[in-house]
Amino acid sequence: MDYKYIEQLLERYWSCETTVEEETLLRDFYKQTNLPENLERYRSLFEFQNEQAELRLGEEFDEKVLSKIDETVVKAKHNKFVYRLYPFYRAAAIVAVVFTLGLAVQHSFSRGDNSVADTYNYASYKDTYTDPQVAYEQVASALKEVSDGLRSAGLQTEDSLNIQK
Amino acid sequence: MINFRDDVLPLKNRLYRLALRITAHTGESEDIVQETMIRAWNHRDEFESGSSVEAFCVTVCKNLALDYIGKKESQNTALEDTVLEQADNAATPFQKLSHEDGKKWVYRLFQQLPDKQRIIMQLRDIEGKPYREIATLLNITEEQVKVTLFRARQKIKQEFEKIDNYGL
Repeated sequence: MDYKYIEQLLERYWSCETTVEEETLLRDFYKQTNLPENLERYRSLFEFQNEQAELRLGEEFDEKVLSKIDETVVKAKHNKFVYRLYPFYRAAAIVAVVFTLGLAVQHSFSRGDNSVADTYNYASYKDTYTDPQVAYEQVASALKEVSDGLRSAGLQTEDSLNIQK
Repeated sequence: MINFRDDVLPLKNRLYRLALRITAHTGESEDIVQETMIRAWNHRDEFESGSSVEAFCVTVCKNLALDYIGKKESQNTALEDTVLEQADNAATPFQKLSHEDGKKWVYRLFQQLPDKQRIIMQLRDIEGKPYREIATLLNITEEQVKVTLFRARQKIKQEFEKIDNYGL
């Protein structure tokens, strides 16, 4: 190895004019023994750099950090599983409503069959409205309110499901 | 989408050496690398490439390590578990130093540099990174990298010259 070239490299190293490759060459140069005194004096610097580049974390670190990462993945998977169940909650809610309505209808029919006291007597009804048009409008408005209420409840449920997703 | 084993875990040694350069504490450095990697993983949806993962990790690792030494300094306690502890004979004439003592003396020089110089010297002289990459990792200009490295190397050179001038 041309020592003159190394001396030049060293000068350029101190002035930050060397490339990464030239600095690697310097570090490799100092791996050899028996150098002239003027070059030997910098051995500790480049040996130190070589030595520090070898510092490593062991396999145990991998295991430790991977177990921590798995914990976060399992947690995320668990959350996804909960979110995935939302359509079933929705279906269950619909079934519950239909079932309740069914029960209510069945109950009202059975009451009509078995109870004489509850027999409808249309003759005894009293009109609450004298004008059929007003009565029709009142009924239509009441039904519309019920319909709007159901629709907005449905939209709110969908929105909340989208937010959770 | 990044993969932990391929994009994050391979950074462990570089991050460990960086943390160690700043904290001079092996146990703490290991904890810092672990914390850095967990944070990177928690932000995995935000990375576009492997290089942005490294920049993120270097920033987090550096900040955690600086926080650690900041806390240590505020508590006014000495850093423990360092290789430096046995290097008290740093003023010993250079030629009388054994190889091992010489490296400890250099270690001490490195650790005495200001944080910024030490971090840049770590990335350049130990990790062998080009100026442009260091600038990207530290979010500074290439010029700032060169100027800071120049000061650090000049300081080291002066310390070597001081030993020569003591008539050795």
